[in-house]
Amino acid sequence: MRKVGVFVCHCGSNIAGTVDVEKVAQEAAKFPNVVFATDYKYMCSEPGQQVIKDAIKEHNLDRVVVASCSPRMHEPTFRRCIQTGGLNPYLLEMANIREHCSWVHPDKAKGTVKAIDLVRKAAAKVVKNEPLQKSSINITKRALVIGGGIAGIQVALDIADAGFPVTIVEKEPTIGGRMAQIDKTFPTLDCSACILTPKMVDAAQHPNIEIISYAEVDKVEGYVGNFDITIRKKARSVDMNKCTGCGTCWEKCPTKVDSEFDMQLGKRKAIYTPFPQAVPNKPVIDREHCLKFKTGKCGICEKVCPTGAVDFTMEDELITQQYGAIVVATGFDQFDHSVYGEYGYGKYPDVITGLHFERLVNASGPTMGKIKRPSDHKVPETVVFIKCVGSRDEAKGKTYCSRTCCMYTAKHATLMAEKVKGSKSYIFYMDVRTPGKGYEEFYKRTQGEYGAQYIRGRVSKVYPKGDKLVVRGEDSLLGRPVEIEADMVVLASAMVARSDAGDLARTLGISYDKDNFFTEAHPKLRPVETHTAGVFLAGACQGPKDIPDSVAQAGAAAAKAIGLLAKSQMETEATVSQVDESRCSGCLLCKSICPYKAIDVKIIAERVGGKTVERQVASVNKSLCQGCGACTVACRAGSLNLLGFTNEQILAEVEAVCL
Amino acid sequence: MITEKMRDVAKDLLTKGEVNMVIGWEKGTFWYNSTPVFITKAEDVERLVFDEFCTNNLAKYLLDYKTAEGKVAIFVKGCDARAVNRLMQDQQVQRDKVYLLGIPCGGMKEAAPGTQPQATEGLPLVEKCQNCTSPNPVVFDVLLGDQVSVRDTQNRFAAVEKLEALGTDEKYAYWGEMFDKCIRCYACRNVCPACSCRECAFDGNGLNWLGKQNNLQENQMFNITRAMHVAGRCIECGECERVCPMDLPLMAINRKVIKDLNELFGAYEAGMDVENRPPLGQFKLEDPEKFM
Amino acid sequence: MSLDTEAVQQQPATAAQPEGAPQEWEPRIVGFACNWCTYAGADLAGLSRLQYPPSIRLIRVPCSGRVNPQFVIRAFQRGADGVLVAGCHPGDCHYSTGNYFTRRRFLLMQNMLQYMGMDPRRFQARWISGSEGPKFQQVITQMTEDIKALGPNRKMRDVE
Repeated sequence: MRKVGVFVCHCGSNIAGTVDVEKVAQEAAKFPNVVFATDYKYMCSEPGQQVIKDAIKEHNLDRVVVASCSPRMHEPTFRRCIQTGGLNPYLLEMANIREHCSWVHPDKAKGTVKAIDLVRKAAAKVVKNEPLQKSSINITKRALVIGGGIAGIQVALDIADAGFPVTIVEKEPTIGGRMAQIDKTFPTLDCSACILTPKMVDAAQHPNIEIISYAEVDKVEGYVGNFDITIRKKARSVDMNKCTGCGTCWEKCPTKVDSEFDMQLGKRKAIYTPFPQAVPNKPVIDREHCLKFKTGKCGICEKVCPTGAVDFTMEDELITQQYGAIVVATGFDQFDHSVYGEYGYGKYPDVITGLHFERLVNASGPTMGKIKRPSDHKVPETVVFIKCVGSRDEAKGKTYCSRTCCMYTAKHATLMAEKVKGSKSYIFYMDVRTPGKGYEEFYKRTQGEYGAQYIRGRVSKVYPKGDKLVVRGEDSLLGRPVEIEADMVVLASAMVARSDAGDLARTLGISYDKDNFFTEAHPKLRPVETHTAGVFLAGACQGPKDIPDSVAQAGAAAAKAIGLLAKSQMETEATVSQVDESRCSGCLLCKSICPYKAIDVKIIAERVGGKTVERQVASVNKSLCQGCGACTVACRAGSLNLLGFTNEQILAEVEAVCL
Repeated sequence: MITEKMRDVAKDLLTKGEVNMVIGWEKGTFWYNSTPVFITKAEDVERLVFDEFCTNNLAKYLLDYKTAEGKVAIFVKGCDARAVNRLMQDQQVQRDKVYLLGIPCGGMKEAAPGTQPQATEGLPLVEKCQNCTSPNPVVFDVLLGDQVSVRDTQNRFAAVEKLEALGTDEKYAYWGEMFDKCIRCYACRNVCPACSCRECAFDGNGLNWLGKQNNLQENQMFNITRAMHVAGRCIECGECERVCPMDLPLMAINRKVIKDLNELFGAYEAGMDVENRPPLGQFKLEDPEKFM
Repeated sequence: MSLDTEAVQQQPATAAQPEGAPQEWEPRIVGFACNWCTYAGADLAGLSRLQYPPSIRLIRVPCSGRVNPQFVIRAFQRGADGVLVAGCHPGDCHYSTGNYFTRRRFLLMQNMLQYMGMDPRRFQARWISGSEGPKFQQVITQMTEDIKALGPNRKMRDVE
């Protein structure tokens, strides 16, 4: 038989005012297994806790019920109390007779009846409580950053500065990401490369940072503190150890390919670095276009390379490394605006996107910073900008606001005015949103000082007329149609999740929203964490962001990762699921619904009919299990049980309150 | 004729040693029943038959040979094949351990004991076949015979709808009368291809999910829980109802669940494939929100 | 908790009963509340002194997804007049997806109980967040009223 002690708190008059606490204690003394019951004015006070500790000794109690306030308030207090009194902290149950009783039921008689019920419930449960232990796991003090854009670089620098080794895995041949493509940044108009490239170099030279470019995350196993991560280094065809980045190979390479970095407006070679300041500044061979791979002939790069670094036989290489934390910073893609046939993108070469414009205006871009339109290289005099292309459009695009387009369009109009004197910019908009430091002022300058004309309304059609593009739309403020003959049209297309975001989310076991942006653990209070412990988010992979926001979030994600890595061990939940292997049939339905990937298959051997047979059962990883109990209900046989909230405990509570 | 083909293919498989056993049907004591048979020797294949009385779903027998060496061949009608998929989805049967011999099924018939003359014409289809949605096997290694067309199944939920139309107390009275009869022999469970637990929640001496008393309340608990446990996993083979010694209308419970699941969460038929998880094991963000 | 809470104005007790009048029948409702939302919402109702009938007995579970349909049947067997399962709103689950399974499971369960002849008002599921003290009050009040109108439950019950 158990020896349960019941301690009823008055909470001054908070409880005693509307609940007959003495009667509750008297009734509790009559419950099965209850050997001691008393009441006290403030159970949580020092003397109150002493009452409990003394009673544990005096009455040899092995279980404790405290009837007081909400367990959400004082469960940790009373767990510590009975622990110092010599009991396992999980041998406690609380009856919430304040928030759920005395404060809401003014009728003392009825309130007392309910309070007695709640204590009976707690007493019935506590006799089925078992001592539980928190376990702890070691933490690998190394972080992985997926994506080497500005967010990923910032995260890596911050973690590395805190003294932990960091690996950046970047899909492209160089780090830098989208920010490297951008010419100037709003609202200060400082040159993007001038502030980004030093950071790239910092990252490359930091003793704690390893950059693995032209690589992807292949597989993620393990869990917080101990992720086993397989990274696929794509065949670069250039030996990174031998190459000095002298550039002879790409000067001599005969094959010209549209440059992805220049948004297909310029050319690169088949052996190339995406841009001159690339980090690492060592080329890769684009096997799809390289003559050697296509026809077996050529091989000039190999011949001219002074260090013999070119290696056509190189294959993808898989490396596996353990990490304690992961930060995802994979950035964004541009919306595929081809769904807007009326804007003529793809049909008319002079209809371009914002990122194209960035390359056209960039001094190291394909036009050396002279704004020339793609079709005939004429300098455009009249440019129409169309905003919200794909953003805020439920019918054809995305429902959300991309947050950056209002500002970069204003920036583009400013740059037009600066670079092409006497030019005219027209901007079709739905709203102008400028909620950032100095943003509204910048927009006002664009309108005033730089004379950009803002037209509120949608564009219905873009069609060619001679060498012009006629933009037909509506000025909804004046309520009349407008037509503008433009030399070039720039679409502010939406920021969307990377096309492979869903795959990466599944690899990492994190969730993503309807638009494939990764989901944070809590929109307000845990904005850089995911539901998967040890995986954090930075930058536009979580939702559209501009550079300041991405950098700020990167710092936050780094702080979270550092907080994790700074510990040598991590405590895990005590209330976790447990498998009764003898009952488990190994159907693994539990595995598929576990939100934490905490359930895995395990092969056990047992003797059946005189021979040893193997069979599969579910196995719970205690470090990963967060104790939600979803698996316990999915298991029809009841082979899974949640410690602290077992089937037995809950059924005992049900019976106790129904009596 | 199917029976000939069955014997040929069974003989071939056993002779070549590709399988160690063939599970099929043989003629029973009376002309109007055919019972399961387990053939391990090539010379016994002549016992195999396929006729209008091969009502038994054979799939559940595979669980008895889970740990056996080599492969087992099994004849599968439409419902048996879905049952095999179900068991594979529950990871109780491995695809490479079974050889599936598909038989398109025109529906099974029944005759009252002692019926003469010995003619199948004019006999009614058994209840479970009348509204069969998948007479053709959905998974097989070889298919014996030609695919048959699906019968009109518009009366599939007729019995359910009739019960749904009753008043609250009338429903309770009806089911009370039914469950009062239940003797909790668990035949429904034992035959069910969705019941694949090693140890049933209702057995064992661990947690008493269910009292041992045979009274209305415990019978209600048993039957409702059974319905929830097979929810989204019932393949409508109707075996539970067929084997019930007390003639409880168990398919009126199972079909109610199927009907509701389809209406609430989109069309789903259990056992059509192995990949698509049962509806209670998945969710959609846009599921109906009736609770608020 | 601060002690000046007594200063919070007490609402007048509903329909004070005359001395000696027979005690009005109070239904017994078993509620399963997830720790993170509904249990917190009920705590908030307490902190805000929002009165509701003393019919509800809350059982704390980590997540509404922990509630096994068999708990519900057991409650009816043992004499509950009503059962409530309550958790975080869809999308707010502390465990990210638990309540989506709850939603499916108990929509089906409610239909099943109805099919078996149980009045659907006796079994309810609700989403009540940690900030929805008033909603908790309103749900309990409404459910109590509904069940009072139905009277004590005799169905599925194995105790007198």
